[in-house]
Amino acid sequence: MSHDRGKLEAIFDRYSRQPESLIAVLQDIQKEYRYLPGPALLETAEALKVPLSKVFSVSTFYNAFSLTPKGETVVRICVGTTCHIRGAKVIQQQIENMLGIKAGETTPDMKFTIEVVACVGACAMAPVVAVNDQFHGGVTVAGLKRLVKKV
Amino acid sequence: MVELTINGRVVHANEGEMLLAVCRREGFRIPALCHHEAIEPFGACRLCMVEITKKEWKGWSNYVTSCLYPVEKNLIVLTDSTKVIELRKTVLDLQLARCPNSPEIRQLAAEYGVNQTSYEPVVDGDNCILCGICTRICEKMGFSAISTVGRGHDKVVAPPLKEAPPDCVGCLACSLNCPTHVIPYIDNGSTRIIWGRTFELIKCSKCGKPTITRDFAESLSKTKSIPAEYFEVCDECHRREISLTMGSIANWEREAAK
Amino acid sequence: MMHIESPKQLAEYRKKCVAEESKYTRKVLVCCGPGCLANGSQKISDEFKRILSSKKIKGFSIEALRDTGCHGYCEQGPLVIIEPDGTFYTHVKVKDVAEIIDETIAGKKVIERLLYCDPDTAKKIEKYSDIPFYSHQTRIAFRNLGRVSQCDINQYIAIGGYQALAKTLADMTPEQVIKEVSASGLRGRGGAGFHAGKKWATCAGIQEKPHYVICNGDEGDPGAFMDRAIMEGDPHSVIEGMIICSYAVGSNQGYIYVREEYPLAVVNLQKAIEQARELGLLGENILGSDHSFDIHVSRGGGAFVCGESSALMKSVAGEVGEPRAKYIRSVVKGLFDKPTVLNNVESLANIPVIIDKGGEWFSKIGTSTSTGTKAFSLVGKVNNSGLIEVPMGTTLREIVYDIGGGIRDGRPFKAVQTGGPSGGCLPESKLDLQVDFDTLTKAGSMMGSGGMIIMDDRTCMVDVAKYFLSFLVDESCGKCVPCREGLYQLHAMTVAVSEGRATEADIEKMEKLSDMIVIGSLCGLGKSGPNPFLSTVMYFRDEYLEHIRNKRCPAGVCRALIQYTINEKCNGCMACITACAHHAITGKKKEPHFINQELCDKCGACYAVCQHDAITIT
Repeated sequence: MSHDRGKLEAIFDRYSRQPESLIAVLQDIQKEYRYLPGPALLETAEALKVPLSKVFSVSTFYNAFSLTPKGETVVRICVGTTCHIRGAKVIQQQIENMLGIKAGETTPDMKFTIEVVACVGACAMAPVVAVNDQFHGGVTVAGLKRLVKKV
Repeated sequence: MVELTINGRVVHANEGEMLLAVCRREGFRIPALCHHEAIEPFGACRLCMVEITKKEWKGWSNYVTSCLYPVEKNLIVLTDSTKVIELRKTVLDLQLARCPNSPEIRQLAAEYGVNQTSYEPVVDGDNCILCGICTRICEKMGFSAISTVGRGHDKVVAPPLKEAPPDCVGCLACSLNCPTHVIPYIDNGSTRIIWGRTFELIKCSKCGKPTITRDFAESLSKTKSIPAEYFEVCDECHRREISLTMGSIANWEREAAK
Repeated sequence: MMHIESPKQLAEYRKKCVAEESKYTRKVLVCCGPGCLANGSQKISDEFKRILSSKKIKGFSIEALRDTGCHGYCEQGPLVIIEPDGTFYTHVKVKDVAEIIDETIAGKKVIERLLYCDPDTAKKIEKYSDIPFYSHQTRIAFRNLGRVSQCDINQYIAIGGYQALAKTLADMTPEQVIKEVSASGLRGRGGAGFHAGKKWATCAGIQEKPHYVICNGDEGDPGAFMDRAIMEGDPHSVIEGMIICSYAVGSNQGYIYVREEYPLAVVNLQKAIEQARELGLLGENILGSDHSFDIHVSRGGGAFVCGESSALMKSVAGEVGEPRAKYIRSVVKGLFDKPTVLNNVESLANIPVIIDKGGEWFSKIGTSTSTGTKAFSLVGKVNNSGLIEVPMGTTLREIVYDIGGGIRDGRPFKAVQTGGPSGGCLPESKLDLQVDFDTLTKAGSMMGSGGMIIMDDRTCMVDVAKYFLSFLVDESCGKCVPCREGLYQLHAMTVAVSEGRATEADIEKMEKLSDMIVIGSLCGLGKSGPNPFLSTVMYFRDEYLEHIRNKRCPAGVCRALIQYTINEKCNGCMACITACAHHAITGKKKEPHFINQELCDKCGACYAVCQHDAITIT
């Protein structure tokens, strides 16, 4: 972690250090560092006056948080019901094969992370793949190569 | 006062009391694994579920966790109906799939006729039943050193970052209250090891026996304003001292009476 | 922006907004709803902006270019609509934009190529309202979607927004508001179907203060995106609904809980709240009244269970979203243990209309016990995927065939899944059921929040049950045993069925376990968790038995029981060879290919890429 106290302080201040804002604070830290670094959790506990165990409990309960660093490009494969019945599994396997990692993992060079998400709410365009929050609908096995190449 | 019927017997309870407490007071045995007098009811183990109904519900009944259900006027409670027994059997069968080696679970399950799980044993299952007594009691003690980590089937009890917990004082509330005795600790004379941390045990200044951990003593004297010296003497020696004091007071009174 | 101090001032302000809007006779509406965005509509909007900012067109100003909320007909997207004629362009590409500007906007000519083509008559249809997909709908919750920019308070006011709020504050007592909502018969659109009026009345009647109002925007059911569309495309109607609710129940603080997967909804809601604050529609003494109310947007952390009210409230408070037993309801003891009214996005979006037109008007739409309309996301193997809104009581058949246009590729209908992971799958024999809260529950499914996923004969019902159970095992909070351990075991058993390892006795065991999970679980997630299994085994038992007895998956989905082979239609195009990651397919160009079963992983990539129907699944 490029430990930058100022960044964290700014996040804490944004929410007036309210204990209720724990999830929001962690979300902002996650956004800043692409994961939740251990030392940041300690500082969060201190700043919000929340027990460290609770900070850790919340960090591991919600999908939004990751305790390991994510890659520069996050490929999120929607596996919602509609995507599932329209072949999200095949898409997922193809992407996993192309990048050589499984869902939930990050390439050793820290370039890519694959995630699966249970519905991004673009079901009409199923199957959907989001690359760094940019949505791509109607993804096909044939079109996938182009998509990944572009990235 | 509220009047209700449990297993056909009319009983009385105070407004706001929970069914479990009333049932137990009246001698009806209800199993529970996540219930602890010192902490708020939780409703996680589901073993204390009972069937409830009322005359005006016209044959409809509901299944509720008695630990959390406040008594109601004219409630008709069945603590051992067929469905309730079936539910307890299922819950224990499921628990047994997760912790097949826990003597406590095995015994309780056997009481309900479940000697072996009928489900696929859970890989990596340990004896923790995730009742949450340890984490909740730790919070109640004011330390919140441990918590549940993760969610769903992968949930575990662990210290933050799965490292030695900084807020732990080694009070043993978690370990001693665990219904399946799954939280280990080692006391060897002058030190105590729990959750991967080593604590200094205070030696009684009178008899030399270990008392509580230095961290626990410091925390208690700080938060409960008890003088730190109090913890330098063990409970037994405290009692011995008190009896000596009481004795001398008695002597003094006798002298005064003369 | 001015600070509006009274309902009268709001009326004057509205006049200005209407005048401003009437300046733009021609408008270009670019759909930026969830579906169109996934199809690249942002680029289309940017292209319009790029060209129009450097090009002067007589009678058209760039202010009349609007990024709107979802039009619903996602299947045809990206959509561009030209008002006032309602010219409806489908599948618009970036390169079409210049032509649309020159031909339709400047030249007032319709571009035939971009029009909707009716698949039945093969005729092009020019106007929005003439398209069958729309003509069968009644839009109340979606009333503004697609009509105005995503969050522009002036446009919202111009088309009648915040009129209901003005009416509430000027002419109605809280009791009258509750009476109106009760009269409407509005039931919670989040799934449970609890009467909104009753909930409000209970909260209003509690002495203990403060009271909270929460809008549940944690649309977690996979396959549902109605609430996303409303929050992104028409945030003001939700906000207006919340303010009216807060007045009725005596609350000064509200929260909108938005799921983490909807970042744009958070942005748009926040923008809209800011606009409302500036105008004095949120904050202290709204419209000069005694009533004060403000809203905070709370982002979810990504947990399905947080759609459950008690878990949601814990999450708003910054805690782990573990539900509690609700023997004391959250309307009595909710957020921070205070009385709390929790309503879903769609329910709240209906409120302004109910106040405006009256509860009685609303109650006449739909059926006697389920009034009003219901929004659905109609998706899956249906021709017209998208968002729809129909009166309660519309039959499934009307939805699937009249609006949905039937099943894709002319395949047979197999099932419709409603209610998300808590719901169930209904077979063809149930297509004439009326869609309302009670009928769907009786049939073994449930209304849920409104996801409606259509399945064809290539969908395996065992696989569907397995899918939902796997989802729920992932999403269970892990607090209570029946849900945590029971759903885990139930899932393991569906896996066994899908791999041909199960026995017929296992089905009975699964049904028994399901029964126990239903009565034994702590919250709605667990209580309804076995539904996808129970409904599929009830209606598609033969399919389960086929997996067990004959080790066959009739739909050709369950990997352990199927085989991919190449048939005589293969023309040797090499597409499957390129797609196969396991190097299981061999063959030369223009010669028939062959699948080595030893190497085949049955991933289905070959099947997905084959354009010649040359892969057979057995």
